[in-house]
Amino acid sequence: MTLAARDVHHGYGDDPVFDGTSLSVSPGEVVAIIGPSGVGKSTLLRLLALFDRPDGGTVEYDGEDVWNASERRRLAYRRRIGMVFQETSLFDASVRRNAEYGLRVRKSWPDRLRDELRGFLGRTNGTVDAVEALETVGLAEKVDQDAASLSGGEAQRVAFARALAYDPEVLLLDEPTSDLDPRNTAVLEDAVLQAKNSGIGVAIATHDMHQAERVADRVAVLLGTGIIEIGETETVFDDPADDRTRKFIDGELVY
Amino acid sequence: MTVESSLVTPLLLEFPFEWTYLRSIVRVSLYVSLVAVALSTLCSLPIALAVGFTEFRGKTLLTSVINTGMGFPSVVVGLVVLFAVSNQGPLGSFDLVFTAEAMIVSQFVLATPVITGVSLAAVSSVERTVRDAAFAMGGTRVDVALVTIKEARYGIATAVLAGFGRAISEVGSVLIVGGNIVGPDGTSKTRTLTTAIQLEARQGRFETAMMLGAILVVLVLVVNAFVVRLGRGDGGYR
Repeated sequence: MTLAARDVHHGYGDDPVFDGTSLSVSPGEVVAIIGPSGVGKSTLLRLLALFDRPDGGTVEYDGEDVWNASERRRLAYRRRIGMVFQETSLFDASVRRNAEYGLRVRKSWPDRLRDELRGFLGRTNGTVDAVEALETVGLAEKVDQDAASLSGGEAQRVAFARALAYDPEVLLLDEPTSDLDPRNTAVLEDAVLQAKNSGIGVAIATHDMHQAERVADRVAVLLGTGIIEIGETETVFDDPADDRTRKFIDGELVY
Repeated sequence: MTVESSLVTPLLLEFPFEWTYLRSIVRVSLYVSLVAVALSTLCSLPIALAVGFTEFRGKTLLTSVINTGMGFPSVVVGLVVLFAVSNQGPLGSFDLVFTAEAMIVSQFVLATPVITGVSLAAVSSVERTVRDAAFAMGGTRVDVALVTIKEARYGIATAVLAGFGRAISEVGSVLIVGGNIVGPDGTSKTRTLTTAIQLEARQGRFETAMMLGAILVVLVLVVNAFVVRLGRGDGGYR
């Protein structure tokens, strides 16, 4: 499995966000995308998550140009990708319903209707996968709680478990810990490393350099209208090839 | 029927009309309003979802038109529907003049902007991240729409109630297209609670009109309670 954006050009109106940039995510690695706010970290992840078609260039899954594939195939590719957003995005339902959502949409309509009917009659029997995913983030005991009753940190951990529950090959994390306290951040970073060790490819957008150093194998520096530097985490932080990277890491104004 | 009415009437002391007559009015009122609201909801939800989700030129204008439709004068709607179902009108071949079905058409026209407008506001208030999450977890467009409807379920229940309220309390248009007709057997053909109240009041039978009014209010309360329960209920969603 390799998910890659190749030479993508993208923009909003006349305002270019990317002017030919590339990034790939391979199994069992964590790629951190660092860069200032508004530079397009989320846009890049949304392109990789197949939300939007790039104006130019390709997004490839295992070498196939996803946007030239049939809609059915694109859906199949999408279903191998998990994503967690910066803002809380849980559904107004129980933790269980949230955690099982990805599994539910993968079922056939007759099966889904049958499950809904069973739920309506109060005969829910949860799937093991969803509870296992919740265990990864230490929230299995909250499975029957209302999602609205969770704290911000817990909600984000459920959002992570929800993306993990259907065994994705790639996880795209859009600043998942930017609103979290250190403890919840640590739990999520652990879960990221667990996911990586189980062979999932992870791309994480972050503005926290220390987080990038802690979890990432590779770091991509997004500045201006594209990735200006990409390489091993240590190399990028200790011996950056581009002067703007050094300035950005040192906290100087480069944008 | 006569046995029943002779049994019931003395219990209610001076109950001023036949039981069968009253039942037929309630039946026509509920039939017309419930069918109109059901059809209207089926039409309104897809429109609200489509308008709520997509950005296009003229969206603000369309939203204004829908919102204006909420306050559209019902008598004018009745007049237009009467023209449409009359022999020369585009629906003339269906022979609908002075039928309950014509009243359904006019109530549909009146309820649709209300249900669409209120649903649109409810759907638009669902966070984009929630829709994105459904899509990111492998949801199709239908899945995303279903998630949105579930998230907006209180607002949509309110929309249906508002539409039902507009339909069942409507007088002007149903009077024009329905004709307030009672059949030779003494049961209502196109007489609804509202048009009956109007008639009784005009003829000076205020007690009867008041009683019909009370029945109408109770009906609305019962339907409201039912829909609110349905909207609050999670249907296994929790």
